[in-house]
Amino acid sequence: MKRRTWKPVKPAKKENQETPKEIKPLATDLKINQETISQSLGNSADIVTREFTVNQKKVMIIFLEALVNKDHIQHYLIEQIINLEWKTDAVSNDEMFQQLKSASISASELNEIDNFQDLLMDLLDGNSILLLDEYPKGLSIESNGVKERGVESPTTQQVVRGPKDSFTETLTTNIGLVRKRLKDPNLRLESRILGQKTQTKVSLIYLHGVASPEIVEEVRRRIDRINVDFILESGNLEELIQDKTYTLFPTVFNSERPDEISAGILKGKIAIMIDGTPFVLLVPALFVDFFHSSEDYYQRNDISTFIRGLRFLAFFLALLTPSTYIALTTFHPEMIPTILLVSLAAQREGIPFPALVEALMMEITFELLREAGIRLPTPIGSAISIVGALVLGQAAVDAGIVSATMVIVVSLTAICSFIFPSYSLSISVRLLRFGFMIAAATLGLFGIFVGILLLALHLTSLRSFGIPYLAPFAPFIPQDQGDAVIRKPKWGLVTRPRLVNQRDIRREDTPKPKP
Amino acid sequence: MLSSIKSLCLTICCVLLAGCWSANELTEISLATALAIDKDEDGYLVTIQVINPNEIAGEKMSRGSSISSYSAVGKTLFEAVRKLTETSPRKVNLSHLQLIVYGEEMAKEGIGPTFDFLVRDHELRTDFIMIIAQGMRGKELISILTPLERIPATKIKNSLESSQEFLASTKTIELLELVEDVAADGKGAVLNGVSVEGNIQDGTHVKNEESGAAPTKILLNGIGVFENDQLKGWLTAKEGEGFNFIIDNIHSTSIQIPCEKQGILALEVVENKTDLKGEWKNGKPQISISIETLVNIADAECAQDFSAKENVQKVEQEAEKKIKSLVELSIQTAKEYESDIFGFGEVLRRENPKQWDNIKDNWEQHFLETEAQIDVTIEIKNSGMIAQPVYDEPPEKNRSERSD
Repeated sequence: MKRRTWKPVKPAKKENQETPKEIKPLATDLKINQETISQSLGNSADIVTREFTVNQKKVMIIFLEALVNKDHIQHYLIEQIINLEWKTDAVSNDEMFQQLKSASISASELNEIDNFQDLLMDLLDGNSILLLDEYPKGLSIESNGVKERGVESPTTQQVVRGPKDSFTETLTTNIGLVRKRLKDPNLRLESRILGQKTQTKVSLIYLHGVASPEIVEEVRRRIDRINVDFILESGNLEELIQDKTYTLFPTVFNSERPDEISAGILKGKIAIMIDGTPFVLLVPALFVDFFHSSEDYYQRNDISTFIRGLRFLAFFLALLTPSTYIALTTFHPEMIPTILLVSLAAQREGIPFPALVEALMMEITFELLREAGIRLPTPIGSAISIVGALVLGQAAVDAGIVSATMVIVVSLTAICSFIFPSYSLSISVRLLRFGFMIAAATLGLFGIFVGILLLALHLTSLRSFGIPYLAPFAPFIPQDQGDAVIRKPKWGLVTRPRLVNQRDIRREDTPKPKP
Repeated sequence: MLSSIKSLCLTICCVLLAGCWSANELTEISLATALAIDKDEDGYLVTIQVINPNEIAGEKMSRGSSISSYSAVGKTLFEAVRKLTETSPRKVNLSHLQLIVYGEEMAKEGIGPTFDFLVRDHELRTDFIMIIAQGMRGKELISILTPLERIPATKIKNSLESSQEFLASTKTIELLELVEDVAADGKGAVLNGVSVEGNIQDGTHVKNEESGAAPTKILLNGIGVFENDQLKGWLTAKEGEGFNFIIDNIHSTSIQIPCEKQGILALEVVENKTDLKGEWKNGKPQISISIETLVNIADAECAQDFSAKENVQKVEQEAEKKIKSLVELSIQTAKEYESDIFGFGEVLRRENPKQWDNIKDNWEQHFLETEAQIDVTIEIKNSGMIAQPVYDEPPEKNRSERSD
């Protein structure tokens, strides 16, 4: 009998944006032009056409109400044009167009356009289009004026000491925040437009001569092969350019802190900014980068080293505490000191579930509470945390459903999983924890060690834009150890990371400070 | 891709279907802290002391007994331990065993046959202390409840360890040491004895751990001397102290000597080093024991001025005599029991292994002829916070009479 297989209908491959379309030139007649524009935009309600007569000629200004600054158009465009003085009555259309162009010279961006494709693109970008009757050319005048959020302090990566500004949703502002910090003529900026529907501006920023040209080329290559209809957030782009999809670990770093991005660029990394989001990507990203906070470099090196140590400790605690608890209590009671074991046994007395079920219950409850707390509006969110404290705390213990130690274990894991400066890493730890718990419940400590082995194998196999993910530990790079687990004083951080940067290695020549 | 998903699923199934191999939840096991081995007509009578975690660490103590004990009889030790499941409510976990108790009757009969199971079984950690229940069955000893330290096995273990540390009249022996001593040709084994003061029956009631001065007390009482694996007799506390001086097992202890005129003087031993050397002289083994001890003056209940050097030297000489007499006493007692508990044979073997091969079969005879050369050197390190005694006159026992 022939086996029938079901095959899903494959969606037709997306047509490439670059395929040349028929370019439609502007018509000479003003009325026809206006109608074509209205029809192309489906007679949208926010199209504003303003028609007036100058020197007995009809002039028309078209813009999208939602995207422009009307004051700007009024003051710098219409008034300028109306106040123009015309020498003679009979001026040729050419001359008149030139005069209109010089009248609107006060606009920061001014382009001549002669076809509908460019016209529509500029219109959707927030420009105003000026058309002259009986003339097949138009002017595109920058008049963008969407209300934007100002530069505020960061919400996801706060510091005690350090700059308090953060990126916004506007690409130009974001570029400015980085340029302001790196006043180097070698700072290179390359722009791309991605997404057929969104036409999102994407900028690569790197330091020429410091960033490795191969990595820059690789980033360009990966961005250029993207063919999507929308990019709304850097997360969309991240998934399209990352090295490996099926991994729990992030291979692209993101931050909303301009100082952190600038520091990354100075190390030879490449920043990718996307219009419309304050989260800027930084590649290549190494495992240790997710343990580093920009504040580590602003505080004294002793406390920074201590805190980095805490973060690495927290990584293992968050990953292994519940699984170790399960393994020790169910498989290896002989490894627990007698007095502790007696007290654990006393707490477990009367608990109806095995340790694994108990742990899973509490961990999942905690994840639920965390998710609920984030999504809900603040006033309700605080109510959730009160309920959560009760559920996760005394009540569950009093009811005899979970043991008090388990509450401690779960809270410890919860605290530890939020200690990382980068949220992306805490996600991987939270997911891996469940795997380790099941391994511990089936095979005990042996299962945990097998899990750690597999994890180490996986991590060493990862690459971020060609750079080994575990560098500088595997491969071990002695010169880079000063800025990995520990942080040397500033005068000791002489070189940039070896694998990221191969050319302008030396970054410091300050002697050690002396009185 | 598909094949890798398939193989992943298979791996997960393999792991999960094996089904939590040898997993035991804490609520499914009971922790044994002490194990008593007694002689029975049908083999061994094994008793375990199992702790009741709720009583010891639980939030609401219900004022029940902190331990319970279960017994079973078996032809072999292993069988008896397995038979415990018939009486015990849960699977017994032996990994936290702290104490193994032999009944005196059992010890006299011979404890050798029990070693194999104790060493072989993987669940036992072999770091437990072995003792003899003096004048009773082990079963009775481990059923007695103790106040303050509510796990009786821990109480006995702690007492033994701290008395070895501060009083030096006892010796803690762990399993492997005991097995070696029993097996060695040139060394006899010892085991500390533990006895009970008061009524044994009363000691098993909860009242015993509730009252401030428990009517039934467990106390350490002498060191049991073995010949091979059979208990021969007991060393008293003094003999035990001498024994510890010889085997260099003194951490700290107190030595009492009489003062020059009247009263008594106590010295605190702070450091001790004993060297044993053996040689063969005139067909007899001769052991030279050199003891070097550092002491502090701890308690001078007499008028003695320690700022004068001669006085200090006199005290030192007196203390040297005292230690020498302790050592001689313990050697004499050991000879009575015909057991070389000090390991003199081992010393001779180390000095001259070839000669040892000739005499090892008759070592017990030779041990009785062994002459001991005892050389004690005592140095008083300091006299505490004061040089002069507090009292000018020596306090007397009948001071009330004199004041009249």
